[in-house]
Amino acid sequence: MRSPLRGAAGLILLAVVATATGCQSVRPWERGALARSDMAWDPDPLEATLRSHVYFSKEASLPGGGGAGGGCGCN
Amino acid sequence: MTGSRSSDAKPLRRRTLAVACALLVLCASPAGALKPGDRAPVFSAKALEGGASISLSQYRGKVVYLDFWASWCAPCAAALPALDALRQEFPEDQFRVLAVNVDRDPKLARQFLARRPVGYPSASDPEGDLPARFEVETMPTSFLIDRQGVIRHVHRGFVRDDVDDLRRRIQQLVAEGR
Repeated sequence: MRSPLRGAAGLILLAVVATATGCQSVRPWERGALARSDMAWDPDPLEATLRSHVYFSKEASLPGGGGAGGGCGCN
Repeated sequence: MTGSRSSDAKPLRRRTLAVACALLVLCASPAGALKPGDRAPVFSAKALEGGASISLSQYRGKVVYLDFWASWCAPCAAALPALDALRQEFPEDQFRVLAVNVDRDPKLARQFLARRPVGYPSASDPEGDLPARFEVETMPTSFLIDRQGVIRHVHRGFVRDDVDDLRRRIQQLVAEGR
């Protein structure tokens, strides 16, 4: 005799598989929005470097700024 | 009772899994880009600058370098002047460069070309139908197509050092038809 639970599980599995195939990656020619500078983690590399330097110099913390130093800002 | 339930359930589970696998296979996107030896899909598309549409068939009998580019793609920006220079090294009746722009907003591409003009035509495909048909895997991607419309080389990405290799390949194809 067929268990209703098993039938439901089968249906759920089918639904999951069917919806999983709807997941689509962004195609290479659709990356215009992702290529915008304001979408970058660090839109301005120079400013990011300066901020990072100030951060680890003032905080004297590692690995926050990723560099060694004692807080003098001279390294 | 219990025994009959488990014996019924096994084939059911197998059948469900088989259907699930079949769905995955059927619905998965097709893999495998166009490769050398494949025939280039024939197309006709709107010209970026307006006017008559551009079709690949109008270049039949010439070696064609088909370049997919976008204004937001940095290597594409490096490729455009290099391809324009390469185009001028060969006679027009032997070798042509043809581009397909894939910007969602063609106005951005026109603004880009106003700043960095090139002497070869661009088709505009904001919907991305052509890169899908050519199965473009990265930006930029270019196809070197021989006089019979067969893809002979697929070039993915672009750095300036690629020009020598491209020139050699074009020379070889141009010489084939003589």
